[in-house]
Amino acid sequence: MANDREVLREIWDGKLPICFQLAQEEIMEIQQPDPFYVMVPRLSYFPLVTDKMKRHFLRFISQENSDSEMWLDYNGQPLKWHYPIGFLYDLYCGNDSQLPWNLTVHFTKFPEDILLHCPNKDVVEAHYMSTVKEADVLKHRGQVMSTMQKKDHNQLWLGLQNDKFDQFWAINRRLMESHGDNEGFKHIPVKMYSDDGICHQRLVIPKNSDGTRKTLQQMILELYPDKPDLNLRTHGIVIPPETPLQWLSEHLSYPDNFLHLCLC
Amino acid sequence: MNTTLSYEQFLKAAKEFAIISSKLCDGWKLIGEDSSQAYLIKETFIDTENKYDMLKAQYVIFYNISYGVPSFSFNLWNSSGMLLKLSELRDMSCLRINEKDFYSVITQQEHPLLHKPYFIMHPCHTDSLLAAFKDKSNNIIVTFLGLITPLIKLDLPVEYGL
Repeated sequence: MANDREVLREIWDGKLPICFQLAQEEIMEIQQPDPFYVMVPRLSYFPLVTDKMKRHFLRFISQENSDSEMWLDYNGQPLKWHYPIGFLYDLYCGNDSQLPWNLTVHFTKFPEDILLHCPNKDVVEAHYMSTVKEADVLKHRGQVMSTMQKKDHNQLWLGLQNDKFDQFWAINRRLMESHGDNEGFKHIPVKMYSDDGICHQRLVIPKNSDGTRKTLQQMILELYPDKPDLNLRTHGIVIPPETPLQWLSEHLSYPDNFLHLCLC
Repeated sequence: MNTTLSYEQFLKAAKEFAIISSKLCDGWKLIGEDSSQAYLIKETFIDTENKYDMLKAQYVIFYNISYGVPSFSFNLWNSSGMLLKLSELRDMSCLRINEKDFYSVITQQEHPLLHKPYFIMHPCHTDSLLAAFKDKSNNIIVTFLGLITPLIKLDLPVEYGL
């Protein structure tokens, strides 16, 4: 069970200051638009926090592009909206922190070979729910999600969308319980990313063959035997290698119930 | 009851499937056999009966590690090389999924092996469907495609079943 409430709260409250600027080639007015500054939750997704920013820039772009799909880049790298914001920051700026995070806003030339289309927030919700479901398949063979009611699923999503910690955790705690007689999940939902953002998903069991709790260090040795000095970063923190995986999964997973870890 | 498929079982079936496919000249190729992430891929052109005329299609069958099942993914490009959108797919005659179920069956996702946007059929029911056939199936991928083909216009020669 996720018992360390202070840790959960601290992770939930993580925020990033962002400075959005409209791409130069999109500006159709003589007057330059002001940059748009906003503080966003690390655990959220860009389409959930960019409505106001979008409205701010719309009057500076060509009218014919006002209905086209907005997208963001950092340093020329298109940002995948289907990952949590804090993860994207750790991936691209983890080693070289810059605040506020300067991002460029585009309304044309949507890079369809890199980014998923996101016509509305329902798409974000569908993506989020299917990721939670996948995590539950790994942890409990999908039994928790399938016994929940539709209103519980809604509460999870609304808790995240509206930044309501208590509302979210009232449901999420059930997804963090261990079932059966042994303490721990069947598998740990974890995605590890190299610095090009490529993720190779592997099945990870939270226990060693002798029944002891598996630590992060032991998982690294198992998956990357030739790189024992590897560090992993999440939520802006380099995780101590002796941290047990089960605890990590219960407390440091993103709201989609996956650990998103950057190799560094 | 554990009804899921291990990666090794998937790979074995995929190898057999690729051999049958090459005998039939059906175009499926097995990529990454020596990695832990092998997948089957087929590229082809399809004729549509409406405004999209000729489309390029790419189908990929891969192993979904979380669900322990084969998964089906695809992309379609029009004659100017643009990727078709989900809403465009829905209007096409080559997909036979009713409107109510469409968005819960197919979504655009980042492909877990190819790391690009693909349309992926949702795997959550594959497990229970395949379980019903698992013991009777000669090749689990043929069986799996047999479940998919009613939804997608994919010509699967009957010889695969022999």
